[in-house]
Amino acid sequence: MNDLGKKLTKMAFEDLKADYLLVVRQEHGDLAPAFISKDEDVGEVRFDAPYQLVTVLSRIYPHIPTGKIAIVSRKCDELAINELTKRGILDEKRIVKIGLACDGHTADKCRCPDPKPSKVDIGEPVKGIPEDPLVAKLMKMTLEDRLKYWVRQFKKCNKCFGCTANCPVCFCENQCVLGERTLVSEKSIPPGLAFHLVRSFHMSDKCIECGECERACPGDIPLLALRRMVHADMKEMYKFVPGDPKTVSPLLTTLEGEVMEDEHNVC
Amino acid sequence: MTEFNPTILAFCCNWCSYAGADLAGVSRLQMPPNVHVIRVMCSASVKPEYVFKALSEGIDGVLVLGCHIGDCHYLTGNHRTAKRFPLAQKILNDVGIDERRLKLDWVSAAEGEKFQTVITDFVSQIKQLGPNPLREVRF
Amino acid sequence: MSTMSVRHVLTTCPFCGCGCNFYLQAVGNKLVGVVPDKSDVISQGRLCIKGYNAHAFVQHPDRLIHPLIKEGSGFRKATWDEALDRIVSEIKRISAKYGPDSIAVFSSAKCTNEENYLMQKIARAAVGTNNIDHCARLCHASTVAGLVYSFGSGAMTNSIPEFENANCLLVTGSNTLETHPLIGARMLRAIYGGAKAIVIDPRETALSRVAHMSLHQKPGTDIAWINGMARIIIEEKLYDKEFVETKTAFFDEFSKAVSEYTPEKVEEITGIPKDKIVEAARLYAKSDKAMIAYSMGVTQHSNGTEIVKALANLALLTGHIGKESTGVNPLRGQNNVQGACDAGALPNFYPGYQLVANAEVKSKFEKAWGKPLSDKVGLPMTVALQLAAEGKIKAIISFGENAMMSDADITHVQKGFERLEFFAAVDIFPTETTKFAHVILPAACYAEKDGTFTNTDRKVRRVRKAVDAPGEALPDWKIACELGKRFGAPGFDFKSPSEIMDELASVAPPYAGISFDRLENEILTWPCTAKDQTGAKILHVGGFKIGKGQFALSKHAPPAEETSEEYPLILSTGRNLFQYHTGTMTRRSPNLEREAPEPYVEINNEDARALGISEGDRVRVTTRRGSIAPVARVTDRILKGVLFIPFHYAEAAANMLTNPALDAAAKIPEYKVCAAKVEKA
Repeated sequence: MNDLGKKLTKMAFEDLKADYLLVVRQEHGDLAPAFISKDEDVGEVRFDAPYQLVTVLSRIYPHIPTGKIAIVSRKCDELAINELTKRGILDEKRIVKIGLACDGHTADKCRCPDPKPSKVDIGEPVKGIPEDPLVAKLMKMTLEDRLKYWVRQFKKCNKCFGCTANCPVCFCENQCVLGERTLVSEKSIPPGLAFHLVRSFHMSDKCIECGECERACPGDIPLLALRRMVHADMKEMYKFVPGDPKTVSPLLTTLEGEVMEDEHNVC
Repeated sequence: MTEFNPTILAFCCNWCSYAGADLAGVSRLQMPPNVHVIRVMCSASVKPEYVFKALSEGIDGVLVLGCHIGDCHYLTGNHRTAKRFPLAQKILNDVGIDERRLKLDWVSAAEGEKFQTVITDFVSQIKQLGPNPLREVRF
Repeated sequence: MSTMSVRHVLTTCPFCGCGCNFYLQAVGNKLVGVVPDKSDVISQGRLCIKGYNAHAFVQHPDRLIHPLIKEGSGFRKATWDEALDRIVSEIKRISAKYGPDSIAVFSSAKCTNEENYLMQKIARAAVGTNNIDHCARLCHASTVAGLVYSFGSGAMTNSIPEFENANCLLVTGSNTLETHPLIGARMLRAIYGGAKAIVIDPRETALSRVAHMSLHQKPGTDIAWINGMARIIIEEKLYDKEFVETKTAFFDEFSKAVSEYTPEKVEEITGIPKDKIVEAARLYAKSDKAMIAYSMGVTQHSNGTEIVKALANLALLTGHIGKESTGVNPLRGQNNVQGACDAGALPNFYPGYQLVANAEVKSKFEKAWGKPLSDKVGLPMTVALQLAAEGKIKAIISFGENAMMSDADITHVQKGFERLEFFAAVDIFPTETTKFAHVILPAACYAEKDGTFTNTDRKVRRVRKAVDAPGEALPDWKIACELGKRFGAPGFDFKSPSEIMDELASVAPPYAGISFDRLENEILTWPCTAKDQTGAKILHVGGFKIGKGQFALSKHAPPAEETSEEYPLILSTGRNLFQYHTGTMTRRSPNLEREAPEPYVEINNEDARALGISEGDRVRVTTRRGSIAPVARVTDRILKGVLFIPFHYAEAAANMLTNPALDAAAKIPEYKVCAAKVEKA
């Protein structure tokens, strides 16, 4: 166990009285997610690879019926947890966050505008990158050039579904609309533009811009830039920013702002 | 130079806009023939997925017509539509498709003439925009 | 409150030869998902759709969980002792009556290196025959035969990450983005970074669409265009004179042999426009980082070995070998087909590619294994099955091989299985093949055992146990040990796969430096001949171990079965992205089955129109071997006159139709070309 591990073990199991701790640690020369319980040794904890721990948690969570889970969460993890608890996917009473401030290197890789969680327990907060240079470049293009750019990028799509598998706020597991044959025909690799438009729409009120989709894409498609553009649209039109623990998505409310029933866990 | 004859879909809700379309027809109001009307029970049942699929396969324009706000047969159905489609338009714009290819409007059962105007205006708008560039794109 | 045990186990993908590593997520004994490994050298935190669903089939209810013995028209449960004893006593009986060479053992390219090592040891040291083979026979046997001639080694010469930095990619007979997605990902990086890709394939694949040059050749005409390229490179003096003079042999004969393949003649034979051949040749020769990548479209022909050698000629001509981002790169389709070959599951090679016919090698292994061994070169799997139909092979032990779906002309293969006196099958699911067994043994799959797989770029990668095997299923290595012990052969007393690897390392020089201890923290590539080395990333650096690289005089020859009036279309078979080979695993994975649930035949739209066939119609495809009824997919992305059927679907098995004509040297079937007809069903 390294120093960081010792610190986290104390924080999670003694201070926060959690039963489990989710971290990233060194294993076999690689960086592995680790979901450990009180009696286990947390090992060599490291945070240099941006693993989306909330995605890791979301697959395990349905199989852990009881117990408090401490999760080392960056700002993006925190926002993802808010979106999921808001929709009843995670029980907020069972999740405790240990705030991790990202270092400059990680913030740069993610082009993150605000890498500081609401409560910092580990790490020194750094300033984010105020504007995504790729988004700026794309918005300056003509409509024609922009379409050419995206078509060229989307030709690389291999339907790996890595963008949905690694997305912390994607919760539809086996009922994803992108799996519907009527929408995305089975013949297509690459799938057409509809695939990406539909995904952008479904992500518009949930995406917390962690960038995991972009990092998981074998085609290196700059998905984060597209998410950021849609994010800006949502903010401009509905004054809505995902990641807030209370505000319901404008797509689930009437024009007067009343929440429509039974909608919160529909994508 | 052959004139561009656009292909357009219009999703019309059963209670208001489809009835309005009927009225326009019965009143013998002249309308361009490029529009294929698809009747749905409520404009809210028009999922953005259908619209995106239509546009990405080369349809030149999509109209979504529902009841006026406050008149929806299912009370808040058209609220949902009103929230979704402006966002869908912005997403089209972000990807580089002209957002004017998607239009949302409200037409009541009594508004046969409004239906005629909406259709005619939309068709000429699309003619102006030209064929959907995605017709030429092969994935 | 009792806490649940949640584990993230780093293991290697059981599907294609990319060899991506990922974490299997397990809660208690239940597999819940897959998490990519961000620091994995091959996948770099990405996976393909099969990888993300690699956990789905593992705990499927269809898993075989008890040993089974044939009774009447069905099977009854048996104990391990009864089943194992039955196998051994039958094999011993048949061996005594007909000789050990009447028995064949099939090992599995999906099993680990340790297991393949033991399976070939069973054949050689326990049964006493060299009749050991596996499905490399069906995919890259021609690569091994061809490249051993050209370079001295049949393996991929460079490594997967190097594709990213190539400035020219010559890709043929490989639908890389579908069959090797994470290698395709590296190619995309190169292409979008400015590299020029030349893709030569009868179909317009996903890679063709982003390529600089997409050329379509008539199936079965590859040697013509390859020789055509060579001729231009020689004529326009674009070859590496120094390299050719100092490092190669037979250049003059070769130069004469290709002189007849003028661009006009190439166009006539292949259909590729002559100016394109010239352009492609110049591009490949002049780029300094030019890589050749190929797969089944090259190997699965009745002259596959010759086609492989012809491709190798291009690398020898230009000197694009033995350097970064160059070389001849066969992309191996299965997770451990490279390792199964390395571990000696071949009828003519011991572990480490040491010849069975070599007396010195034989005595070395006799000493290592403590038993006299046969010096008669064994039968390739395809020949063994043909001989079984003739009654000359009496018994088969098959580990993880679904020959009734994967071999050509399965009607004939069935005759072979029916005629066997004894057939034992070891597998994880009941298959079309296990139906014919007299004894079925339930095996553990990759998620339930430890071991290693060797991927296509020669990295030896760990497989780690994440969950327990269901019921009474055992890992193949344990099964092999039990069989070996019961045969009375020494050297089957292993307590762990690590011990087996140690023995493999002691007898196979390319694996000498490999051990489980080292694999815990190091990335090892073979040849890794010492414990302080990590292995050779690039082969043939500075020259060839055989002295000089050899030019081959490959000649264009028509395929074994050409089109006729009755069978006017060329049928080619292959794979798609979502399913894996005979489908035993992927068809039981909901997300994969959802994507490609139905058997289909790709047919050119002009051909379809002429036959009155529309998209989605059920059609009947017939060849001289049989007939199936898939659904039609009408497309302009396949050459006129060519059909394509994937072989994953048991209900319309493509191999009912394929031609079992074998390559003379490699004995690989001609899956890529036979004559067919189509009509509406």
